[in-house]
Amino acid sequence: MSTTTQMLKGLLEGSLLALIAKGETYGYEITEKLKEHNFAVVSEGSIYPVLLRLQKNKLVTSVMRKSPAGPKRKYYSITEVGLEELERFKEHWEKLSAGVYSLLEEGDGDDVI
Amino acid sequence: MMLSKEADQFIIELRMYLLSKGKKEEEIAEITAELEDHLLVAEAEGKGIKDIIGSSPREYMKSIGKEMGFDARQFMTLAPMTVLLVVAFSCFTPALMGEFSLSKVGIWGLGTVSALSFVLYGFLLVRVLPKFFHSKWFFVIVGAAYIITTGIFLAVHFLEQDPFFIASPMQNNLIVIGCIIVFITWAFYSKSWITIIVPFFLSWGPLALRFTPEHINEDPVYITITIVIFTLIIASIIYFVYRKNKKKKA
Repeated sequence: MSTTTQMLKGLLEGSLLALIAKGETYGYEITEKLKEHNFAVVSEGSIYPVLLRLQKNKLVTSVMRKSPAGPKRKYYSITEVGLEELERFKEHWEKLSAGVYSLLEEGDGDDVI
Repeated sequence: MMLSKEADQFIIELRMYLLSKGKKEEEIAEITAELEDHLLVAEAEGKGIKDIIGSSPREYMKSIGKEMGFDARQFMTLAPMTVLLVVAFSCFTPALMGEFSLSKVGIWGLGTVSALSFVLYGFLLVRVLPKFFHSKWFFVIVGAAYIITTGIFLAVHFLEQDPFFIASPMQNNLIVIGCIIVFITWAFYSKSWITIIVPFFLSWGPLALRFTPEHINEDPVYITITIVIFTLIIASIIYFVYRKNKKKKA
């Protein structure tokens, strides 16, 4: 697995948690919101294995309800454990992105010189 | 709103794939319903199935399966029950005819053929049939598989020699009752009539053979009448299934 794919996998997990933390939502809506944020997902369906993993690790819970489209729709909401995990993700991301950003900035500076 | 043929086929393939991997039925129902809902909305907005599952359906199925738990309990009940069902099917007809016997060739042959038919049907169910779900070939493939396995079963039956156990009439009846119990249990378990309907039709021939006097049994007129009646019944079943499918699609 390439570094980008692996990185994206971890980021997708955290981002889905962040999205679900904003309020109860379902699969299709999640992909729409990801797109609004210009989140590059390989394919829309790639959120489902991640959602299954989040649920398996008890970070989110789900409930099946009838949808206007026809089949039953699965709505996700975040759990207490999920909220704690989200906080950890945020901290990690802030540290990581600050580090990467500063490194890249420095690199840009060298190029100019 | 309806799913496109391609999307519908993908859902069927996914369901069969996950079932064959021993995943929990409840979880399978949830994930397929969820994807069905997504595909419905996405297709209504003009997106193609590749936008949703990527370019390799097989890889996508694997990624889903990897995140789902293996249901050991379901698998542990299903496996022995399937073996019991196969045993019941192979004992039912000879016991009904009052000719149940066991020989070494018979046991080994039936064992091997059962294992082979498991593999054949397993392969068909997961890999081949979902691709033909909406075409006429579906019935042709199922029919061919049925004819091949029945043919081998019959060949083993004819090869059978030197039985070391020949059932008495009482034992034959007990075996029949045992088989019926297995069929009914399966019908309850699988929530379908198939394990009752198939033996029901299977039983006519042997019962007739056992209880009709020989002079009627060899009379060509009666044989012709029976063949005509059977053909009519089978034709009407096929017609009924075909019409039901068509109605479903409409």
